[in-house]
Amino acid sequence: MNLAQALFMGLLQGATELFPISSLGHAVLVPSLLHWSFKQSDPSFVPFLVLLHLGTASALLVLYRRQWVEIIRGFVTAAIRGEMRTDSERLAMLLLVGTIPAAVLGVYLESRIKALFASPYEAAGFLIANGFLMLGFEALRRRTERRAALTNESRMDQEAHFTSAERISFRAAAVVGACQALAFLPGISRSGVTIGGGLLAGLRHEEAARFSFLLATPVILGAGIVEVPQLFSSGVPIAEYLGAAVLSGLAAYASARFLLRYFRSGRLDPYGWYCIAAGLASLALLHFDL
Amino acid sequence: MKSGPVAVGLGILGVICIVLAVLYAIGALQLFTSGPGNHYKHAILLIVLAVASFVAANFARPKIAS
Repeated sequence: MNLAQALFMGLLQGATELFPISSLGHAVLVPSLLHWSFKQSDPSFVPFLVLLHLGTASALLVLYRRQWVEIIRGFVTAAIRGEMRTDSERLAMLLLVGTIPAAVLGVYLESRIKALFASPYEAAGFLIANGFLMLGFEALRRRTERRAALTNESRMDQEAHFTSAERISFRAAAVVGACQALAFLPGISRSGVTIGGGLLAGLRHEEAARFSFLLATPVILGAGIVEVPQLFSSGVPIAEYLGAAVLSGLAAYASARFLLRYFRSGRLDPYGWYCIAAGLASLALLHFDL
Repeated sequence: MKSGPVAVGLGILGVICIVLAVLYAIGALQLFTSGPGNHYKHAILLIVLAVASFVAANFARPKIAS
């Protein structure tokens, strides 16, 4: 991988990690479509991915730095007291409950699943499935809005009838967390399934995105940190990879800011349609070897 | 749910997780791993699970009214 390719992959990873369009799917598909010779499943690619993930996680930590201080303080206080009294304490425990299923499934299943579904054809197929999932989540949300007779209200007013991340149930947090395991399939978006899960749990779109980003931070950071020793293996072009990681972090920060603003009134549908179109186009390009 | 037996059970679960974490870290346990060796990723996960168990145990412990 040359410098330009590394920087491009960094930008792609950072931009697609938080958008509900699957970073892994794009990282499998794009090099294949551009006829680049490296593969995500190649072990020599791991240090590169580690740094990109650390870049993305750093961006999320910077974005939510004050909240993370409150969450960590809330976690320690509630854990010692054995009782939750504030929103920060409840959010800290919800994030713990949501992170455990993803971490367990990640350690025991991730490498096996990724190895099984590493081909660009499968990534394109799962990208289409991801698109239908996003449309499905929004269809279910619209049904809830119709039942609550909210269809004539403005989008902002509709959203005001739903709740914040601190108010979801622990069972919902565990289910949303477990949904992250679906993202081991290249083409299925981690943020997409967690935002969608949050919508089903009754969160506002913006709050579902916030909960998704907060939930993603320990998982992405943890997955990156445990692989750090691989960075020190010989032959790793650390300077090039660091440049790509910085780009990844900047792109992730900009993406998160955009999405939080977008989801004040926006929906998942455009991303669903994009995934279906991109998946179909990729299948056609791969089939005809263009 | 406040219950003494549940709290004790969660505490024991936490201790088991720590023992398993040590076994994974020193390479004595190879269950669900890719092969022989030290499995720090599994060990870290089990430490996290142990912390979660102890926290849950403290939540489940019946509190004495002050």
